[in-house]
Amino acid sequence: MKKIVEELKQHALTAISYMLPLVVASGLLIAIGNLMGGENVTELAKMTIPNALTSLGVLGMGLLPSFIAGYIAYSIADRPGIAPGFLMGQIASFLGAGFLGGMIGGYLVGYIALLIRKTLKVPKWAEALMPMMIIPTLSAIIAGLIMFFVIGNPIVWATNGLTNFITGLDQSQKGAYGFIIGALGCIDFGGPISKVPNLICDGLLLEGIKGPEGIKVLAAMVPPLGITFSLVLSKLFKKKIYSSQEVENIKIAFPMGLCMISEGVIPIAMNDLIRTVICTATGCGITGAISFSLGNESAVPSGGVFVIPAMSEPMAALLALIVGSAVTGVMLVLIKKRKTGQEEIILEQEEEMDLSDIKIM
Amino acid sequence: MNIVAVAACTSGIAHTYIAKEKLIRAAEERGHRIKVETQGTIGTEDELTMDEIKEADIVIFAIDIAITGTERFEGKKTIKVPTNICVKAPKQLIEKIETELNK
Repeated sequence: MKKIVEELKQHALTAISYMLPLVVASGLLIAIGNLMGGENVTELAKMTIPNALTSLGVLGMGLLPSFIAGYIAYSIADRPGIAPGFLMGQIASFLGAGFLGGMIGGYLVGYIALLIRKTLKVPKWAEALMPMMIIPTLSAIIAGLIMFFVIGNPIVWATNGLTNFITGLDQSQKGAYGFIIGALGCIDFGGPISKVPNLICDGLLLEGIKGPEGIKVLAAMVPPLGITFSLVLSKLFKKKIYSSQEVENIKIAFPMGLCMISEGVIPIAMNDLIRTVICTATGCGITGAISFSLGNESAVPSGGVFVIPAMSEPMAALLALIVGSAVTGVMLVLIKKRKTGQEEIILEQEEEMDLSDIKIM
Repeated sequence: MNIVAVAACTSGIAHTYIAKEKLIRAAEERGHRIKVETQGTIGTEDELTMDEIKEADIVIFAIDIAITGTERFEGKKTIKVPTNICVKAPKQLIEKIETELNK
């Protein structure tokens, strides 16, 4: 069971890794275009440079369901999965259920393509046609018909239900959900747990709900900025909480953090995991709560401080980021133990991990 | 031992390279030779040659996502782990491989 979940997750993560550069580029195009006063147009005659940027970004976002479905299917069935996967993404767009439809379509057509590849035996002369014609066509027909006639309506209902739920939240509920999204979204600093809420934020972006995406972008910067702030505070109050090696790591983690890469704090967090995570998750949650309840939205899913000007409420975003980081910083200084000289030596200690599941094949 | 490894994480900008560094440090500390190929967002770097793969006693896949070029490792002994195992417990992983291979 655990194996199956792991496998399904790997396929989704593969799709996200291919999707991210597209979302970032498209989101930034929309944001830059909008800042220059551009809007999405469909006629060449109305094309100005700002309009061109925004329109291109919107076109790029339209590719997302296909990227999701295509690369999930690729991860499952290798290259023959890509073409039918992209087609399932087109169905998802047609249904107006981009993200969820893309995910489901990708899995569906991927496994169908894999099944055909594994079970269908063709004569020697037709083998070359398998990846080129038989697998893509056959799997697209089977999965396509299922998508249109069997699971199309449920997908549309589920998507509408989710969007209505999020748009219907009142102020205090927004604060609570913002806290949860923010805290979960960086609980393992860009690792596998945080990918799940972040994936949901990306999905909602496709449905035109941009608030959660704003939380994601801001909260991801809180751990590195908060830890950097705690280093400054620890110097001010003369409470040494970081070893000299950790200070070096913080100097690297800070610029990475400004670009929204929270992984830089991992080496620091590892040495004192529980205390650090409590402080960073609280700060991230507060950032999320402030950003969401003040109505801040982001059309750009990645880019760190550089996309704050492109958010709907840049001042609210800045406030959320600063308060969250400050909370993290102050908490760290308060609850982290004072470093003595001896601790520097046992830095290389590893966490005990259960490796019994891992087998050599 | 001769070890080759491929590292690839979701965003392809951080875990991939942390896992690489940790694997190299842990393996060399225990006296093994290791080369790690990274498949990040930038593309494949430090690509493994066929000779290196042929001479390897074990192939470590430190991956969260599907990687390209898996056909190169057909017939080799392989072990697949998520990148965070290599980030958190690289030495335990290498020790585990040692005991499994010596069985």
